[in-house]
Amino acid sequence: MECIISIELGTNAVRVYAFNMEGGLIGSSKGSYPTFHPVPDFSEQDPEQIFITMLYVLKNFLSEKIYPSGYHVLSICFSASMHSLVLTDKKGAPLYNAVTWGDNRGKKEARTLKETPVGKEMYEATGTPIHPMSPLVKIAWFRNNEQEVFKQTTKFLSIKSYIIQQLSGAYIIDYSLASATGLLNIHSREWDAAALDFAGISGKQLPALVPIANADCKLRKQYQVSLGLGPDTKIIAGSSDGCFATLGAGIMNGNAATVTIEDSGAMRVIGKEILKDKGGKLFNYILDQDYYVSGGPTNNGGVIFDWFASQFGEHRAGFDPEAATADLLMQASQVLAGADGLVFLPYLLGERAPIWNANARGVFFGLNINHERKHLVRAVLEGILYEMYSIGKMLLKHRNIKNISVNGSFGTIPLVTQMLADMFNKPVSASPNVSSVSMGAYLLSATSFGKFSSLENAAKSVTLPAPVIPDKASHDTYSRHYPLFERLTVKLGDEFELLAQL
Amino acid sequence: MNQFLLVRGRSHELLQFPHIVEIGLKKNASIQFGSLPVSVSQCIRLYFIIDGRFEWEVAGRPCTAYPSDLLYVLPGQTFGGANGYLDIGSLAWIFIEDANGDARRWKPGNWSSLSEIEKQTIGNILMMNPFGHLCRVADTGRIFTQLHTELVTQEIGYRARVNQLTDELLITATRQVTRQNVAGRDFPKIFLQLEQKLRQNLSHQWTVEEMAASVGMGTTLFNERVKNFSGFSPLNYLINIRITEAIRLLKKPGINVTDIALDTGFYSSQHFSTTFKKLTGYTPSQFRKKNSEDI
Repeated sequence: MECIISIELGTNAVRVYAFNMEGGLIGSSKGSYPTFHPVPDFSEQDPEQIFITMLYVLKNFLSEKIYPSGYHVLSICFSASMHSLVLTDKKGAPLYNAVTWGDNRGKKEARTLKETPVGKEMYEATGTPIHPMSPLVKIAWFRNNEQEVFKQTTKFLSIKSYIIQQLSGAYIIDYSLASATGLLNIHSREWDAAALDFAGISGKQLPALVPIANADCKLRKQYQVSLGLGPDTKIIAGSSDGCFATLGAGIMNGNAATVTIEDSGAMRVIGKEILKDKGGKLFNYILDQDYYVSGGPTNNGGVIFDWFASQFGEHRAGFDPEAATADLLMQASQVLAGADGLVFLPYLLGERAPIWNANARGVFFGLNINHERKHLVRAVLEGILYEMYSIGKMLLKHRNIKNISVNGSFGTIPLVTQMLADMFNKPVSASPNVSSVSMGAYLLSATSFGKFSSLENAAKSVTLPAPVIPDKASHDTYSRHYPLFERLTVKLGDEFELLAQL
Repeated sequence: MNQFLLVRGRSHELLQFPHIVEIGLKKNASIQFGSLPVSVSQCIRLYFIIDGRFEWEVAGRPCTAYPSDLLYVLPGQTFGGANGYLDIGSLAWIFIEDANGDARRWKPGNWSSLSEIEKQTIGNILMMNPFGHLCRVADTGRIFTQLHTELVTQEIGYRARVNQLTDELLITATRQVTRQNVAGRDFPKIFLQLEQKLRQNLSHQWTVEEMAASVGMGTTLFNERVKNFSGFSPLNYLINIRITEAIRLLKKPGINVTDIALDTGFYSSQHFSTTFKKLTGYTPSQFRKKNSEDI
C-alpha cells in the first residue's frame, strides 16, 4: 500500500499526517516547540529545535504507525507558517533564532516604509502588506539594529527552507512562501529589485525559487537510513499553510471564501486575478502558476478565547482547560445574539487586517449592572467573529461571495460556525478534515502522481458537509451591533497610540 | 506562643538532633543597633514572621517580610537586617545543617524520612530559587508551635515527630516555591518556564519527579499534560532539547565532542553518539564534518 505524508511546520508545533492515495487519513502525530519572547515585541523560535522535533516526530510516526501497517511512503510534502526568517552563515549554521510571523520588532521600519510612495508601489508589486510580519521589514530591521549578524549572513531563509536544506542540502523556497516575504514580485515572479534594495540584500542571498510541486530535492543518505525511507521517496517543496488551507477546503472558484480560525485566523478567496486594494490592506499570495490566494489575516482568533477561558473559566476539579472551555461555550449559548449590548474588541495581540495596528488592544464596551459572566463570554466570541467579518466586508467589495467554508479548531466549533453564518448571512460549511492544510498538501501530492489531472479537479474531490443556514433574527441583531464594533475600533485608534506611548 | 531559644551544644533538648543548629521564637520589643549584621549563612535557615514588619537583605537583595511570610536563606548566601538590626516584631526560626560536603548541593540528611529522589528534588528546587521569600504560608506557625512542644515535653515518639515536622516544614516551603513560580492556570506558560529551566541546567540529570515538582505538579498529571501538549513524554522532550543544543554546539568549531556530550546532559560520549546517530543517521563527528564546509 502506498501513502502520502504531509509535514506542517506550524506556529507552535510540527504536525505530520499520512494519507492513503484516496485521501483517507491513516494517522497523524505532533510535537510542539516553544516561542520565546525575550522582549514583548520579539517572537522567536529555535531553528535547530524545530528541525530535531520534526525529525523525531517523523521518525517515530513512520516506525510506529506507518511501517507496521505495511505502507510505503511515496512522498513527503512540506507546508509552513508564512513570514518566518532564519539567517544563516557561510557554513549554513543559524546566526540568530528564527523570527516568526508574530514578531513586531520591525514596527518602525514598517511605518516609515508604509508612508512613502515607494512603500505603496512595493505592496502592489509584492502582494504582501507592509507590516512587521513581513521578512522584507525584518531584514531591514537587522540591517539597522544587528549589523554584525546582518554582515555575516550568507542566506536569508524561511523556516521551511532551512528544514529542507538540513534534510537535502538544497536552498529552495516555493513561490507561495516566497510571495509572502515581501521580496517577490508576484507579477514577474522574480525577486523584486526595489524590495531587495530596501532590505539591503542581493537575490543571491535568497534561496532558489521553485514551483510548489517541485520534487528535485533528495534526502541525504543518512536521513534515508534513520527514517527508513528509500531514495525514491519524493520530497515535494509544497506551499504555505494559508494557501494549502484554501486549496484543502476544496474551493477554487471566485464565489466562495474560506475562513480559517485556529489561534490566529484569516479569511481568503482564490482566483486568477489579484485583488487591488488601495489601502494596502489585503494580501495576494501565489498558489500556483494560475491562481492567487487573497485575503486578510487576524492575530486574534481562538487564542483570545483560550486566554479568557484560562483567566475566567471555572476549574472546579483542578485545571482542566477542555472542560472549562466546554462550560463557557454552554454559557455563551444561553445568551442571545448581541450579548445584551456588550461589545468586545478582541485586539489583545494588536491586529493585522483590516486595521493593521500593532498597538490596538482589547476592550469591553457597554457593560451594565445586569451583565453576567455568560454575557462576557458571548461578547468575546462575537468580538472575535466581528473582526473576521470586518475582513470579509473588504473581500465582499471585490468578490460576490455566495458561500463560506470554515476550518480550524476554533472555527469548526458548532456554535462558532453558526455565529459566522448569522453574521455573514450566508451558508457556512464546516470542513470535516482534521487539517485543511494537510488536505491541501495531499491534493497537490496526489496531483503530481497523476491521481488528478489538475489542482482544480483535485479540489473538486473534497466534499463538504451540508452548510449551516443563517438565522434571520440573529443576523438582524448582528447587523445592528456591528457598526458599533467598527466605530469603536476607528475611534479608539488615537487612544491605542497614547497607551503605547505611556 | 512563648519565646524560646534552643542552640546546638548548649541545649540538651537538641542532643538527638545534630542537624538542628538553632531553633527559636522571639518577640522583639525594641531595636538594638548592630543586633543583626549581614553575614554569610553556613546552613539553611527558615524564618517565619508572626507579627510586625521585617526589612532584610538576602543575597544582596532587599526583602520586606510581613506576617505569615516564610523566608529561607541558603547555605553560602548572605543574610542580615537591612539596617544591621532586627526590626520590632515576633518571628520564629530554625537553622538546619547537613554535612553533604558541597554546600551548593544541599539536601535533607539521614534524619529525613523523604526518599532519596525527593531529598534531591527538594534540595534542587530550593537551590534553583535562590530568593526564598514565600508569601502567606500561615500553616508554618502551627509547625513551629508543635516543634517547640515536642522538643520541650519529650513525650514518647518525640524524636520521630520532630523529624517529621522538620520534613513537613521543608515540604511546605518547596511546594510554596513551585506554586509561587508557576504562571497560574496557563499550561503553555508553565511549559515554557520548564523549557527555560531545562535549557539553563541541561547538564543536570533531570528526573521526571524533579521536572514535575519544579512546576508544582504531581508526576501523573505532569506526564499526561506534557504528552498532550508537546506530543512527547517528559524524558523524550528532554532528549529533544539535548540534541537540539548538541547540534548547535557541533556546528561551532572548537568544543570537543566529549565536552558537548557532558554539557548537554548525556552520561558519556558513547551514550551521546548512539542517541544522536539513532535520530539523525550521523555520528556527532560526521555531522560536524558535514557542516564545516563553506556553501
